[in-house]
Amino acid sequence: MMRSLSVKTLFLIALLVSASITSSSARAVAVTGQGPTLTSVGPLAFGPDGILFAADNQAAALYALDLGSQATGGAPGAKALEGIDQKLAALLGTAANEIAITDLVVHPQTRNAYLSVMRGQGTNAAPALFRVDGAGKIDMVSLQAVKFQKVELPNAPVANAGARRNPRSESITDIAFANGKLWAAGLSNEEFASKLRAVPYPFNTVDNGTSVEIYHGNHRALETRSPVYAFVPTTINGQPHLIAGYLCTPLVKFAIDSLKPGDKVRGTTVAELGNMNRPLDMILYKKDGKDFLLMSNNSRGVMKISAAEIATAAPITTPVETPTGGVGYQAVASMQGIEQLDLLDAQNSIVIARTNGAVNLQVVPLP
Amino acid sequence: MLRAVAGVALLATAAACSRPASSADAPAIRLITPAAETAYVEVTGLSSVTLDALDDARLTADDWAGVLRVAVSDDGPAVLGAYRVRDGGLRFVPAFPFDPGRIYTVRFDPSRVPGSSSTASAAVVTADVSRPGLDMTPSTRVAQVYPSGNEVPENLLRMYIEFSAPMGRRSGIEYLRLLDDRGREVEAPFLPLDYEFWSPDRRRFTVFFDPGRVKDGILPNQQMGRPLEAGRTYTLVLAREWRDGEGRPLVEEYRHTMRVGAARTQGLDPTSWRVAAPRAGSREPLVVTFPASLDRGLLMRALAVREADVDVAGDVRIEAGETRWVFTPGQPWHAGRYRLVALSILEDPAGNQVGRAFEVDNFDTVDKGPDAQTVAIPFVVRDTSTE
Repeated sequence: MMRSLSVKTLFLIALLVSASITSSSARAVAVTGQGPTLTSVGPLAFGPDGILFAADNQAAALYALDLGSQATGGAPGAKALEGIDQKLAALLGTAANEIAITDLVVHPQTRNAYLSVMRGQGTNAAPALFRVDGAGKIDMVSLQAVKFQKVELPNAPVANAGARRNPRSESITDIAFANGKLWAAGLSNEEFASKLRAVPYPFNTVDNGTSVEIYHGNHRALETRSPVYAFVPTTINGQPHLIAGYLCTPLVKFAIDSLKPGDKVRGTTVAELGNMNRPLDMILYKKDGKDFLLMSNNSRGVMKISAAEIATAAPITTPVETPTGGVGYQAVASMQGIEQLDLLDAQNSIVIARTNGAVNLQVVPLP
Repeated sequence: MLRAVAGVALLATAAACSRPASSADAPAIRLITPAAETAYVEVTGLSSVTLDALDDARLTADDWAGVLRVAVSDDGPAVLGAYRVRDGGLRFVPAFPFDPGRIYTVRFDPSRVPGSSSTASAAVVTADVSRPGLDMTPSTRVAQVYPSGNEVPENLLRMYIEFSAPMGRRSGIEYLRLLDDRGREVEAPFLPLDYEFWSPDRRRFTVFFDPGRVKDGILPNQQMGRPLEAGRTYTLVLAREWRDGEGRPLVEEYRHTMRVGAARTQGLDPTSWRVAAPRAGSREPLVVTFPASLDRGLLMRALAVREADVDVAGDVRIEAGETRWVFTPGQPWHAGRYRLVALSILEDPAGNQVGRAFEVDNFDTVDKGPDAQTVAIPFVVRDTSTE
């Protein structure tokens, strides 16, 4: 039930609301150079021409990396490697429990796998980028030779622009390239809010982001404040869309044309996939002439969902009283402990799977 | 000539097994730790012919690792790094600094030096090297937990844990337990999130309660109830095993006990804030008192003082269990009109914002980025000396 605000509060706000434009609203301008100095590396995404996009969460920045000759020369494809964490740690001169594999993506042409890794857990933690080719050879990508563009995320709102740096941070939970733009979903450690940003590539400036509103059937409310954790670009009825997985776990589609900076956008909730859960990765693939979404989760395993049903599903606009609702899914029992997921080729996915204490790079046939 | 030199090298190499590593004329492996640079492995005691051969060689990474292999284990790949001949020795500089206290196995194989004969320099030199381990004596403590008052609302959304020094990258959730007043652990009270919630300096960790359980009447709330119940007392336990930025555990386990009061379900009402205006000509603090605690993180950045449209520079303190915002200006106050400006993103610990409750259905934009909306409360600074 909607609770009413005090009349005097509404009056005050009506009178005094204004746009607060502080110096923090200045839009970040891209920097171009060679040999980027990333402070951390998290989500990755490839553009169609082989530009590798990377999020540096510690610096609140997005990078576009031109890998140049380092993207070529390997055997095509990517080979499964058992104990990938042990191998990467050995190359980095440390122990497996000292590294974190933060993302896995596949190059659109060579089909080599690229892994972002953080070496170390403490104050000296450092980023590293690796390529695994079709022969199972692991090469570290030397950033020194890489040409890059970098753009920083706009600062958070502050009332007093002169205030010293505050402890707010914003983490990028996922990035994807679509329609000439890099899309980034962000999450703050203060406001419990969701933010989608679009950055046209080549980078110039980054917009202030679009707040995205969904109807969360399990939460019986319009939910503007649940963070987007994973998303994937797609085309629905000839129109470019994003399919996004939220925390606890609505599945929502947005028309890309509707996502404009500073705007409020209502996504269409098409499924409720269960609470106490966080989406990890999503891929789209075709099997037997039909399109599917494959989505990995931190506590509810891997789900296979019909893309046609997502396209045509009736939006969820009333409370869902059951643990799940809307478009159904098929639990993929053959994929357990999946921590990273990408599409390797027309028949296979490639994953980082943690099973029985081992962390493996596995090639898994698409379900 | 080459054979003769190789013979000398053979003698020196063979002798290395029985002579001290410090010998000047036998291959010896050392870890060099310059004061301001990355520690590196150095092989000394190599002949000038060997050094010249290595210096001229254009080897792949695998070939280099055949000559000089630095590894964390015998069966894994060699550590990545750069090889170079410098100052009469062969150096290996790791791509990332060697870990303090970790043992690295180093193996120099003279037979793999380009141009060496396969029968000449067979004696392999090996050594284990290690940087000194860090002092693992714990020194980092929990400095403060917010909300810092004795009582929290039943629908508490968020807590902050501040540490005395930077912490490691890992999420803290696995080190947190919430116990009820009978000492029983509350099941799954927090959001299952990773490491995203550190401040940039990793001294502050944000703990979000699961909003699905906090919000009244929604499915997870109906199934599991709120993690906190009004009228009861809970203890947040932070395990000592939580590692700081140097990998050390905390000095001690930390317990933060809180009494739980009624849920707070109304949007913030700025007209209920008490603004105690300072005197003109003084640097007395402006004191703003709230009827109930607000979120500390947002209090630090969502309030400001403006004279006309200019921000007044000064220092902010948060006091009295986050019920008081105390602003001391850098310069004395002028007599005249000021405004206390609050961004609409300001929240209480239950996520209620200015004019907007966490639980209310609404169609507003949550966050328009830097163009956040504001509420302004005017106040007047008077020149009391003339009254």
